[in-house]
Formats: sequence, structure tokens, C-alpha cells
Amino acid sequence: MKIAISYPPIVNADGQKAMVSQNRNVQFFKKPTYLLPVVHGQAATWLRDMGFEILWDDGNAQLKLFDTWMEDLVRQQPDVVVFESTTPVMKFYWDVVNQLKKQLPGCIVIMTGYHSMRKPEETLENSDTDIVLRSNHVDFTLAKLIPFIAESNGWRDNCPIEGLMIRRGDKDYYDTGDFKQIEPLDLSPDVDRDLVQWKNYAFENGNFLQTPGTYATSVIRDCMFGKCSFCRYNGPDLTFSMRSVTKSLDEYQRLVEDYKVREIFDDSGVWYRGMEARQFAQGILDRGLHRKDCYFGFNTRFGYMEEDTIALLAKANFRFVLIGLEACDQETLDKLSKGYAVEDVIPNLKMYTKYGLFPHLTIMVGYYWQTREQLQKTVDMVKRIMFQGLARTLQVTLCTPLDFTPYHQECLDQGVLQAKDYNDFDMSRLIVDTPIPHDAYYEAIREMYGIAFHPRFISRQLAFLTRPGTTNWKFLFTYGGRAIRRVRQHVFNLTKHQGAATS
Amino acid sequence: MLLKVLEIRNLSPSAYVLRLDRNGIEFKPGQCANLGLKGSGVNREYSIYSDCGTPWLEFLIKEIPGGLVSKSLRQVAPGQMIEFHGPYGAFVLTHDSSVSIRYTFIGTGTGIAPFHSFALSYPGLQYRLIHGIRDSSEQYDYSDFPRERITSCVSRETGHDFHGRVTHFLSDQDCPAEDRYYLCGNQKMIHEVYDLLRQKGVSGSNIMMEAFF
Ligand SMILES: Cc1cc2nc3c(=O)[nH]c(=O)nc-3n(C[C@H](O)[C@H](O)[C@H](O)COP(=O)(O)OP(=O)(O)OC[C@H]3O[C@@H](n4cnc5c(N)ncnc54)[C@H](O)[C@@H]3O)c2cc1C
Ligand code: SF4
Repeated sequence: MKIAISYPPIVNADGQKAMVSQNRNVQFFKKPTYLLPVVHGQAATWLRDMGFEILWDDGNAQLKLFDTWMEDLVRQQPDVVVFESTTPVMKFYWDVVNQLKKQLPGCIVIMTGYHSMRKPEETLENSDTDIVLRSNHVDFTLAKLIPFIAESNGWRDNCPIEGLMIRRGDKDYYDTGDFKQIEPLDLSPDVDRDLVQWKNYAFENGNFLQTPGTYATSVIRDCMFGKCSFCRYNGPDLTFSMRSVTKSLDEYQRLVEDYKVREIFDDSGVWYRGMEARQFAQGILDRGLHRKDCYFGFNTRFGYMEEDTIALLAKANFRFVLIGLEACDQETLDKLSKGYAVEDVIPNLKMYTKYGLFPHLTIMVGYYWQTREQLQKTVDMVKRIMFQGLARTLQVTLCTPLDFTPYHQECLDQGVLQAKDYNDFDMSRLIVDTPIPHDAYYEAIREMYGIAFHPRFISRQLAFLTRPGTTNWKFLFTYGGRAIRRVRQHVFNLTKHQGAATS
Repeated sequence: MLLKVLEIRNLSPSAYVLRLDRNGIEFKPGQCANLGLKGSGVNREYSIYSDCGTPWLEFLIKEIPGGLVSKSLRQVAPGQMIEFHGPYGAFVLTHDSSVSIRYTFIGTGTGIAPFHSFALSYPGLQYRLIHGIRDSSEQYDYSDFPRERITSCVSRETGHDFHGRVTHFLSDQDCPAEDRYYLCGNQKMIHEVYDLLRQKGVSGSNIMMEAFF
């Protein structure tokens, strides 16, 4: 059986490509970023190990045009095609599925992703998709499902595998029940780097300080905290699963020694904390991987790392740390269930920078309750943080309700969601009613990105990067180029909508 | 927000109950909160242990050797303020009082905490509790549960309800498909028990889980 794990290239009317961005949301950008879909990579590896033929078909990362991608896929005649979608590209995917099924009617199409997993009937109704995976454990589920399909003619009627919605007939869908939330992650293989053509993802990624970089097989799926209301890793159907430190260290060793990667980022919702984080850092030191010119990075949240752990991580050559700041007023943080106090932010950042780590902050604006005062608090605090050199880079996005997260549901319940068309959920504009005009939020984004060009910030950044005794100077161009690129992209996106809407 | 510490009650050399002034906080039994020392900037999740009808909030915490937060919270004195965020989480009973549902709660170690809150908050709840522990020092506040509802599976001592792990105990138990199963504690137990329940014909939709570590 031939299984294609497919990502069609998606280009919007402005010629921008759909990229996975902050919080694994899809945004359209001119300058590409290619993020390795880790869990799908594990699924591909696992199925290949079981003897299935795998077509790793990432049309985006393989720089294909849509028509070529479709022709190539049809020519390959796969028995099964697996897609992954999210709200803003859902309609696009339904269309792709229908086109594909016209050309390959016998091919089984499986839809994965956090939108369809929460509304499986919708995808079955709007497209010719055969199966919707309701589980986030795509690797574990496919490793059970594909052999079952291969061996059972009546799989549509008697599938015992939980976490699926299967098309039996036109309007006849079979729900196999809720999925298993916790899986023993050590059983799922490390991503086979050759199978997924890792180099396609090794250079164009704004999170890498040096290249070639790669994403590790995530140590936590999805998030140990999992409470932030806007985040797709929050839901009654989700908790976290954790990989063992040793298995993960073995992978890092292979990546550094055999693949000569110079940066490894773990894109788990939040990475290890406490004991496991320390054991991991100690393992890097014991194996001597900190001396191989490779940096390590991860996502975390405020409140998870204490000073001893940070000191050890710094020693082990960790650098890039991505932290969700979201907002700087306590009311918003509480409404979002972020689980920390505004007062925790500066001390946390001071610890990271004290030991030479590079915090990257992600911030959002445009919550449906956000007042001018709350917005201003965020802008002022972000400026303070950046001018004090407590974070190296930042990313600001518009908070967009997506994938039926609690925030999305809240927007629906409160009647504040303006957009009806999923295509409008692409984070390029605000789609909720807000107490102040939308332009105020767009302006706040400009102001925060503008920090990158402020002489105070530039001199701080230069002082940090040229600090004696470090080799940080080599990032001068990385940071300069990145600042210009980010501001350009966001200003391009915002100018499309600024002035067009009031609230 | 900051909440005042009312009491620390030691249950064993490694476990204690932290009682905080409730300060009007509403919660659903089964939810958790993040706690940390004031000004430390570090916090961890803890399931609420107490009854939703009391004027305080309690947490059952195991002090982990080498752990930061679980250790530091034991050292706070009554009257001191600690950082509290929450409550949140969806490990709650989807309880329709008009329908009589039977629950099986399966927890390891401090994973008994949300079940303690369920049992005390919902009088008349039809449940059985299976508690996996290493030794009897982990039999936390068993007197709060009717004796017939709790089975203590003790792996390193004999002379208790069951000698061995919860998975061994469950393997020859009747597990009705229509009951609801709540699993809480360490991941290994949760995934093993899940597989066992599925083999016994329980649908994934009737199994809820909360992993602590
Ligand atoms: C949703 C949720 C609810 C939780 N509820 C509780 C609770 O009610 N009571 C409680 O004691 N803990 C609970 N925990 C665990 C708690 O959040 C911390 O992980 C724990 O207190 C250790 O923190 P630390 O800073 O002391 O040590 P760390 O250095 O962060 O961790 C030390 C080590 O202890 C292990 N560990 C964590 N919790 C436990 C435990 N309970 N028993 C045995 N080993 C453990 C970790 O895997 C780690 O290896 C919960 C965790 C989650 C995610
Ligand atoms: S910390 Fe919050 S935003 Fe970050 S991954 Fe976890 S739930 Fe999502």
C-alpha cells in the first residue's frame, strides 16, 4: 500500500504562501518559513518501518506549484492520502480533496488537524474525505488504522480503532468514540530525517540562529500546561504525553553527530520543566554535545523554569527560548488562563538573559475585550522589556479565534465573531468586535515592531551581541535581517486592512 | 492573585495538605490551579483536593526530592501569602443529576486528589475508587471515603486490600461499559489502564484522564 502524507502548496491572491506560524497557526507570508510537521513525520516513519510505501509530499517545502504538486500526486497513485488542516485553510482542503477524489476515486483520504478533529462531520459533509482523525496522536492512530485498512475489506463498518469518524455512505458517518489522550511516546519512532527530506526545512526558519537547523521529535505532546484559552492544545479531549529524556538525548546525539545540524528546536507546546529539563541539560553536557557548535531551543511558559535549571541549560548550549507573553495586563492574562502574574515576566526574563539565553516573545493584540488602556499596557511593557535587553526578538499577531478552542467558542457564545468565512481566519485581520477601532490594534503592532529600529534597542542589541567573551557577534546579521524581514511582512499584511475596518 | 496560607497538614514524610484561604474563588471539583511562592516567578499545577463547600482550598502535594515547588510550598508558614492562578481544567464530572451514572476513579499516589474533591463535593455520588500506591504511607485521608468504596492497591506491602498494581487488580474486575472511568496520576498507569478498559469493551468516550507527570 502506498501512503502519501501531503501538504499542498497554498498561495493567496497576494502571492503569499500559507506557512505554519505562531502557535502552529497558518499565516500567509511572502518570505517562506518551512516547519517540519513532526508528528506526521513520526507517522510516516512508523508506517515505513511497518513495510508501507511512503510518499513524503510536502509541496510547500519542495517548492512546487499547486498544479505540479497535484499532477505529481495523481501520477503516484497513492492508496491513501493524509492531509493536515486548520481553520483558515479548511475550505481550501475540502476543495483539494474533492479535486483529488475526482481523479483518484479509489484513494482513501484522511483528514487530520485540530479544526476537523473537533468538527469531523463538517469535513465529511463538505468534502469527499473518507476518514477524519479525531486524535492528535496522528502517528499512533495511523499505525493502527493503516494496517487495519490493508487487511480488512469491511473497514468502514467494523473499525475498532477509537478516535475516528469514518464515511460509510453519503450521509452515514461512523464515530468510533473518543481517542486515547495519553500515548507512550517512546513507542513512536524518531522522525526519519532522510524520509522527510530534512534539509528542505533546515534553512528557511526564523527561529534558527544558525543553520542547518532542525526540529527535534517533540518531547511533550501537546502541552503540559494546556490551559490557555486561545490555544489549540487546550480542550477536554487533550492532556499531555511525555517522551523519556534518554530517548530524546539519543536523537539529539544522532542529529548533531550524523547530520551535523547546528541548531535543534523542540516545538512541543511547552518543553520539559524542572527535573526532566535538568536531566536533559545534564545529558547534553555528559555526552559532550554542547561542544559541537550546535544550539538548542524550545518553547516554554513563564513560571516553568527556575534559575538553577536555566543556568544548566545555558551551560548545555541552549539559546533560543520562545515564550508566550500574550498581553501585559493581569485581567487579560487571567481571562486567557495564562497561569502567571504580570510581575513574573521581568524576573523570569532577567534569569534567561542573565545566563545568556535569547528569549523570543510572542505577543497578541485584539482580544474582543481589549481596551485602549490594556493595549497600551502591553505596548509600554513590551517596549520596556526590549529597551532593557530582556528579550532579543518578538513576534506580534492578531488574536484569532481558531480550531474551536475555548476562546473561539467564547467568541461564538458572546456573539462577537464577525467572520463567517473560514478563509478570513488567516490572522491577517481582526475578525472580532472590539471595544476600540481595529486600527488601534494594527497601530500597536506597528509600534511594537518599530522597536527593532529604535536607536535605544539597536544599541542594546549591539552591546549584547558584541559582549566580550561570547561569539554572539555572528548573529548581528541574523538579527538585523530578521528584524527587517518581520517588520516588512507585517506592515505589508496590516496595510491591507488598516483603515478598512473600525471595530 | 495572592492567597493566605491557613495550615499545612503533614500526612506522611513526603506528602502534605496545603490549606489556603478561599477568598471567594469558585471552582468545579476536578479542576486545578497553579501555585508558587510569592515573587519566585515559578509555579506548578496542583489539583484541588477539597470540597467545593468549604471556605478554604486544599491541595494534596507530594514533596519530590530535588523538586523546587513541591518542596518550597511545604516550608511556608500560616499567614504567609502564596501565588495562585486558576482554577481551570476540564477533568470534571459531566454530571447530570437526573441520570444515575456510576463512576470508577483510578488514581496513583497524589492522583487521588481530584477524586477526594469529587467524593466530598457530591454526596450520593455512585463511585468506586481504586488507588495505586507503593506503601501505606500514601493512604491519604482514607477516612474521608466510605470504606467499601475504596480499594487500596499496594505494590510494596502486603496486608492491604490488594497486593500489586492497579492494572493487576483491574484485570479480573468487572468493568461495565456504561460506567464512566476517570484516570489520574502518572502517565504509565493511565495508558496501561486505558488499554485494559478498552479490551474490556469500554468506549474511549467513557474514559477521562488527567496526567500529573
Ligand atoms: C494538571 C496537573 C495537576 C497536578 N496535580 C498535582 C497534585 O494534586 N499533587 C501533586 O503532588 N502534584 C501534582 N502535579 C504535579 C506538580 O505540578 C509538579 O510537577 C510536582 O509538584 C513537582 O514539581 P517540583 O517543582 O517540586 O519538581 P520538578 O523538578 O518540577 O519535578 C520533579 C519530578 O517529579 C515528578 N513528579 C511530578 N509530580 C509528581 C507526583 N505527584 N508524584 C511523583 N512524582 C512526581 C516529575 O515527573 C519530575 O520528574 C500536577 C501536575 C499537573 C500537570
Ligand atoms: S503554555 Fe498555553 S499557549 Fe503555550 S502551548 Fe501551552 S496551552 Fe498553548
